[in-house]
Amino acid sequence: MPSPRPATPAPEVARDPAAPGTGPDAGARTQADRRPGADLRFHQVRRRFGRLTVLRGVSGQVEAGRVMVVTGANGSGKSTLLRCLAGLLLPDAGEIAYREADAAASGTDDLTDSPLLDAGERRRRIGYVAPDLALYEELTTEENLAFFSRLRGVPRERGPALLQRLDLPLDRPAGALSSGMRQKLRWAWALLHRPRLLLLDEPFQNLDARGEGVVREMLAAHLAGEPGGAGPGLAVLAQPVDVEFDPRWEVADHVQLAG
Amino acid sequence: MSNWLAETLAVFAKDWKSEARNLYALNTLALFAITTLVLVSVGLGPMGVDAAGAQVLPFLLWIVLLFATSAGLPRAFVQEEETHTATALRLAARPSAVFWGKLAFSLSLTWGLEILVAPLFLAMVQLDVAAPGQFIAALAAGGFGLAAASTVIAAIIAQARGRSTLFAVLSFPILIPLLLLVVELTRDAVGGFDSGAVLRQLLLYDGTVAVAGAMLFPAIWNP
Repeated sequence: MPSPRPATPAPEVARDPAAPGTGPDAGARTQADRRPGADLRFHQVRRRFGRLTVLRGVSGQVEAGRVMVVTGANGSGKSTLLRCLAGLLLPDAGEIAYREADAAASGTDDLTDSPLLDAGERRRRIGYVAPDLALYEELTTEENLAFFSRLRGVPRERGPALLQRLDLPLDRPAGALSSGMRQKLRWAWALLHRPRLLLLDEPFQNLDARGEGVVREMLAAHLAGEPGGAGPGLAVLAQPVDVEFDPRWEVADHVQLAG
Repeated sequence: MSNWLAETLAVFAKDWKSEARNLYALNTLALFAITTLVLVSVGLGPMGVDAAGAQVLPFLLWIVLLFATSAGLPRAFVQEEETHTATALRLAARPSAVFWGKLAFSLSLTWGLEILVAPLFLAMVQLDVAAPGQFIAALAAGGFGLAAASTVIAAIIAQARGRSTLFAVLSFPILIPLLLLVVELTRDAVGGFDSGAVLRQLLLYDGTVAVAGAMLFPAIWNP
């Protein structure tokens, strides 16, 4: 496991020349620069809520096939960071750069000519699991996923397949699920459109041992690249304490937030 | 079918499916509509279409419709925020599909309410309408204006604290022009007077509110 990289308050620094699209040779990359899949980089991300500063210049990066781990005490800003990465919150300062290869358009899983995605595009492409994410309580699990399948242009059969894999009843209203089952439903929702980037905020919360085993398998499959998916995925995993690392995960970065 | 249209229809269908199960907006609309309708009818008694009745009754009809829709329609967005489903919707749907899907849901509720309330109102106060086509046009265009304005206002207030205060403050300037136009059109329909100019102004108001709402909505909905 890599050593934690504390995100201590830091003055504004020069832009990272390695950040996508910012280097002196941006636009003149060679074959050696080719990187597969997708990558997420963020640099000196800051966010305040009124007078309370939550993120004080946080940086990190992760590429396809790997996991970034974000740890910190309650209130240290893990969820805020993930919401910024998801495009649900705008950072007050700093850069967030996410690119993913469009294999369908280019024929190769190569990032070289892929543009940076803005917050709106990031929102639509990512998979997101978080405690404050809720689905429609009046609708059954299957109806919920059918609705989001229509929004995302995903075949309707994908929802029931995920629910069965997670051992969730198809006909139970989301409002009648236990907290562990709701967490599984969040996983099914997040994986519905086979996203490249998964943002996971306390993703194993309330899961029993069997449920946690299943979602860890799904995460490992996501990182490796599931059949039918776009290729190897990447993930940012936020936990209040060090998570139990899975030997199948290749950890790219460990960002530790100060409380 | 285009992706945008499919998303819009999905939002519309989801809202109706949820509504059919929790009946929140339907119950609220029905409660306010029936209560105010009964109060107005009992208070006035049958007025017929004499000069005084023709002046006052269209106002009362639109007050009944305004109260009912003000109570029920803002739920379209407020409920998404209160139940934390807005995040999932924000991440999965394009903003314009959410706006038009929600507007279509509000419009179907409003027109449904008008189909229920308007005949009852006419029967209870024994009001004859000289130009039924114009009366229906007033209900359709006025209902669209109410639904569009309520959708825009609901989107703005949903993420704010002090929603009820904000709703009142925002509703006043947006709804007053609509109500003045639609009452005049309804009054002309009852009296049998031609009011094509008023109808055109009302349609212009409807289009302006809907287009402005669609343009503003992405900035309101997303950070």
